[in-house]
Amino acid sequence: MKRDPVVIIVVAMVVALMLVFGFNMARKSKGTSVPGPQTKGDVAPDFTLQTLDGKTMRLSDLRGQAVLLNFWATWCAPCKIEMPWFVELQKQYGPQGLQIVGVAMDDASTKDIADFAKEMGVNYPVLLGKESVGDAYGGVQFLPENFYIDRNGKLTARAFGLKNRSEIEDDIKAILASKLTTPKQAPK
Amino acid sequence: MPSTLTKMILSVGLLTALLPAQEPPGKKIPSITMTPLPLTTVTRGKPNTVALQFHVSSGFHVNSNTPSAQYLIPTVLKLDAPTDIVLGRITYPAGDQMSFAFAPDEKLSVYSGEFDLTVMVRPLASVLPGDYEFHGQLRYQACDNSACYPPKQLPVRFQVKVVKAPPAPYKNPAQSPHIHN
Repeated sequence: MKRDPVVIIVVAMVVALMLVFGFNMARKSKGTSVPGPQTKGDVAPDFTLQTLDGKTMRLSDLRGQAVLLNFWATWCAPCKIEMPWFVELQKQYGPQGLQIVGVAMDDASTKDIADFAKEMGVNYPVLLGKESVGDAYGGVQFLPENFYIDRNGKLTARAFGLKNRSEIEDDIKAILASKLTTPKQAPK
Repeated sequence: MPSTLTKMILSVGLLTALLPAQEPPGKKIPSITMTPLPLTTVTRGKPNTVALQFHVSSGFHVNSNTPSAQYLIPTVLKLDAPTDIVLGRITYPAGDQMSFAFAPDEKLSVYSGEFDLTVMVRPLASVLPGDYEFHGQLRYQACDNSACYPPKQLPVRFQVKVVKAPPAPYKNPAQSPHIHN
């Protein structure tokens, strides 16, 4: 039977579209603790938030340190699993320049958040989160979400949901390995 | 009629397009839906039970009404009743005790799949028979196997048909033992 060339061309185009669609869907699905195209190398959005003891902390004041920014909430069971790991990792890597910062995206009162943090033995700053800060970091539609920021204030990785301890530690080592190239600005 | 080669090419293309793009947590949004309740008949002057059925989307769970740990947000139904209809007890099912990958040694009390709540309603004896509507919200907080989502509210709405209580059965008065002329 003679093959119609038009049919062959149409079939080939449809297949090509399907292949492109399929590979794009597979690529977009990656992005757990692997830098996504929208995050790697971007400067982490700056913010100023209140700490549990009523002071304020500004993210850009941590320039020169490697920062793990952890969005969490008291109602988030997986967050409770990784917090003790963060406590250990802060102790272990703090002397090398790691600073873990917790951002509580909670409706709970400051006292409840503080009591929770104390129960968990948290040894790093906990800030009272705001929707605007969550929005700056892509919406934070679920928790935990962790952002890894190098010493120059640039995002290197982002993790959706609970990861295992060794993955978290690998990402921490990566940001600790970064060198400060941008001069630190004087705090305002 | 497509040739065998064309069919093979199309099949390969279709399979590739449907490559299981394994979804990381957070790609699907959890939800609870309520099965629409048909008009339920309730008798005025008496307690009546209305059963509401809810469904948690696949792959997610919500805390039960009595979660196993402090700080966890329970599933709670709040309702506003029409005037002269008293809202009684809301009964929640016991949660399933389940462990998840993020805490394999810990049991959480959760609802997943279908779960039913029952609501006691008691229209006052003076309520006019007819259809009345209840409105409210079901507050819940959902998680999947590695992430948790902010608390949400599901609007809840159902109607009841208030009817009169059936008359009490007629009883003959006691007969006097004396003969009356």
